[in-house]
Amino acid sequence: MRLTVNGIERGIESAPLTPLLYVLREELGITSPKAGCQQGGCGACTVLVDGEARRACLLAVAAVDGAEITTVEGLGAPEALSAIQTAFHEHYAAQCGFCTSGMLIAAHAYLEHGGSGERESIQETLSGHVCRCTGYVKIIDAVAAAAGGEITSRQKWLPQTGEESPVEVPGAPA
Amino acid sequence: MTGLDVLVPSSPEEAVAAYGDGDGVTVIAGGTIVLPEITYGRLRPSKAILLKDAGLAGITRDGSRVTIGATTPVVELTELPAPIGPCAANVADSEIRAQGTVGGNLCAGIGPEAPRGDLQGALLAVGATVRTGGSGGEKTQPLEEFLADREGKLLLDVSYDEPAAGAFASLDRPHTHDYTALAVSAARAEDGTTRLAVSGVAGHAVRLPSAEAKADNPQAAGEAAAGDATFADDALASAWYRGQTLPVLVRRALTQLQEA
Amino acid sequence: MKAVGARLPRYDGVAHVTGRTTFVDDVRVPGTLWVKALRSPAHNADIKRLDTSKAEAMEGVHAIITWQDVPLLEYGHLSALGIPADEPLLAKDEVRYKGQPIAVVAAEDETKAQLAVEAIELDLEEKPALFDVRKAFDSDAPVVHQWGNWYTHFEDEMDRRQIRKGSIQEAFDKADVIVQGVYRPAAIEHVPLETQVCQVVPEADGRLTIYSCTQALYFSMGVVAAHLQVPLNRLKFVGGTVGGGFGGKVDTATETMCSLLALKSGKPIKWRWTREEEFLCSSTRAPWHMEIADAVTKDGWILGRKMLTLHDSGAYSRFSPYGLTKHSFHHTGAYTIPNLEFDGYVVYTNRVPTTAMRGFGVTSVSFAVETHMNRIAKELGLDPFEIRLKNANRIGDTSPNGIVYTDPSTVPTILAVADELGHELPADYRTMSSEKREGELLPEHLVGQLGNPEDH
Ligand SMILES: Cc1cc2nc3c(=O)[nH]c(=O)nc-3n(C[C@H](O)[C@H](O)[C@H](O)COP(=O)(O)OP(=O)(O)OC[C@H]3O[C@@H](n4cnc5c(N)ncnc54)[C@H](O)[C@@H]3O)c2cc1C
Ligand code: FES
Ligand code: FES
Repeated sequence: MRLTVNGIERGIESAPLTPLLYVLREELGITSPKAGCQQGGCGACTVLVDGEARRACLLAVAAVDGAEITTVEGLGAPEALSAIQTAFHEHYAAQCGFCTSGMLIAAHAYLEHGGSGERESIQETLSGHVCRCTGYVKIIDAVAAAAGGEITSRQKWLPQTGEESPVEVPGAPA
Repeated sequence: MTGLDVLVPSSPEEAVAAYGDGDGVTVIAGGTIVLPEITYGRLRPSKAILLKDAGLAGITRDGSRVTIGATTPVVELTELPAPIGPCAANVADSEIRAQGTVGGNLCAGIGPEAPRGDLQGALLAVGATVRTGGSGGEKTQPLEEFLADREGKLLLDVSYDEPAAGAFASLDRPHTHDYTALAVSAARAEDGTTRLAVSGVAGHAVRLPSAEAKADNPQAAGEAAAGDATFADDALASAWYRGQTLPVLVRRALTQLQEA
Repeated sequence: MKAVGARLPRYDGVAHVTGRTTFVDDVRVPGTLWVKALRSPAHNADIKRLDTSKAEAMEGVHAIITWQDVPLLEYGHLSALGIPADEPLLAKDEVRYKGQPIAVVAAEDETKAQLAVEAIELDLEEKPALFDVRKAFDSDAPVVHQWGNWYTHFEDEMDRRQIRKGSIQEAFDKADVIVQGVYRPAAIEHVPLETQVCQVVPEADGRLTIYSCTQALYFSMGVVAAHLQVPLNRLKFVGGTVGGGFGGKVDTATETMCSLLALKSGKPIKWRWTREEEFLCSSTRAPWHMEIADAVTKDGWILGRKMLTLHDSGAYSRFSPYGLTKHSFHHTGAYTIPNLEFDGYVVYTNRVPTTAMRGFGVTSVSFAVETHMNRIAKELGLDPFEIRLKNANRIGDTSPNGIVYTDPSTVPTILAVADELGHELPADYRTMSSEKREGELLPEHLVGQLGNPEDH
């Protein structure tokens, strides 16, 4: 079996019914998809399979033989964040970060498919993804911002200083 | 998983041949139900068939006859008229709907804690028939009969005559990952007969014959429905709650149907 | 103070959004063995036989530990605070909740570990189980715990947390109305997206490196060191990246067992709980049973409160005695009540042991108190805002455990809520503040009750 993961073609040794999630994490060492439930219930394992958001825990690797897989590692690197990654960072949409990879992949697919940025459509898209920390508002804000949709009224609740980044913090985007 | 035999047939004929009489075979369609069973060690297959390339996907129409291939993803049903469209749209979330199939839904496990197939109810209401392969060769039979005994059958497709009108009423789901605790599908065929079916009951979905007999009177039909189903307690709802809400859903579905 | 009021980028934000944050499950250690547990299938049972020999002989199995492998079997989560230990790391003679670990297996992969778990021979003799705290005190109730059905080791070996303040009798004599209520919030699972997980690496120098998802790193280190009976400097804990905790990762759920497996096998060990284990076997927020009876005047002053709390601790104590203590200190909520009689018990049941969750012991009582305030308002036909403002904590008021409030915030908070909701209030309520009650602001029942904040 073969997979193209984040643009690199790889041969696969795992047994054919091994979930794609295990293949990525254990065989290929790609750890952004998380094992939150291993039964389709949380969305933390979501990756792009030929451009569509899919639960890696529900797919036998043999069922995606030959497919092109994209994980968050393939969306953008720290020095070159993609639009959705930037939006998540700037809107504080990642708290503990455990759900974030799956959310980003689903949001990325939504944008690629021309998502309108309306809150309801974002909610519908992300409805299979569980976040236990953020309460979802900031996540939806981030996706809406990346979609160029309406910036939400919640924004006025955030303290604004008028400065971009008033304090030097390591890891902050330029 | 040593000694595991995984087959990936590339046509319906190959799928039927690979399936044989189905003994000891694990069929994997979308895998949304079956893969966690394997991961969690509750199922340890020795022979598995992946249906993804078996040429069993797609919706075709012949006059008013609609045929849905077994591996058609649930998402492709969401635009169909009621009760099937709204029922399909009520299954899981968009990503699971794109992966899970009609066949997997109709063949979902049985038991109070088992995943259920919500589409069973909608397809019963339109009087669907299924075509299967497996032990005893190819067979076409009413969905009801199939649901009662699926042993040794590989589902190939499901077909039905488009109804004159349809309706779907369900209890709201608290989250897209909660199964619908109870849902009622109703359809009026071109010849005027009304069929009603409920999913979320103990076992697979069932028709509601006593309620169908009173279909002209939604209130009376609702009251009659309770005797047609048995309910089970599970994490979603108690048997009692389901018993109390079935008449309401029957009434709503029939009222919708009258207005359709 | 450039940071106050400014939007600071999260220090870990970029790592999160690029998938590069290393959670415990993401630590890669070649040759790692995976762990599965044999857990009790019964709620309450005696262990008649436990035989791991067949499992040990299986292909790919490297180590199995049972209670016999634990240097110090019982160590309480609060042993360091003088609360005696009652919970074995692995069940010995009996199991007291469904899901209690009995043995853990380390094998080359999860499937092999699970097959070995299934090969362990276990005979149980089931006993009647107790799930309802209200039945724990019945003479014919099943006995759940070695100390009886409730905790008996509060100070001076008291069997309850007790608060007495003022004269409850006098308050009830003077009351116009007695308002009663029973409040029973249920157990809640924390559901962190990252399930319990730990990776232990035995180092060449004999030390253990423990990658832990704990919320309480030094605490977990103490617990592991105590069970293993090793000095702290033998353990190197690596923590700080937690995939959600909410209180559920205060208990040391996996680290000790993985450490023992690492020592026994000499190999790196990883244990990642399944979502089902997380739901069924990890500790939860406790269910509580709270009964309140308030002595109230018809114009809405609360003169006295009698309260009985049964804190469902589950099968073992863990943090519950501490949680109940916090609960007792907060049993008047944000309000001042001068006459109190509070009795709280930590009750054992055959449920999974309970633990901290966001305001440990206090959220339950806040729920009860606030619901009760509404009930009082309703029974008296008064405005629920006014009754709260009237009884609100003010400077100089004292808490149930005798702390004098120097900076209470009840009044401004309730006024802000009223504003936000557009709730109209009469002028004398609208102008209320947290200032000390004096002169005509001092109601009769609080005369002689006030403390001097300056003394604190
Ligand atoms: C988070 C989550 C939420 C869900 N919510 C819902 C919901 O709300 N409503 C609902 O109905 N379902 C729900 N499901 C269940 C499931 O996704 C759907 O029922 C789906 O349609 C199953 O299809 P599948 O192709 O993935 O099934 P699979 O897992 O591939 O198969 C399911 C069963 O059917 C058998 N099977 C599959 N195809 C055939 C065939 N052609 N012939 C014979 N046997 C076959 C398999 O052997 C297996 O036993 C949910 C699942 C998840 C993970
Ligand atoms: S791990 Fe795949 S959905 Fe939770
Ligand atoms: S950020 Fe923690 S689960 Fe979403």
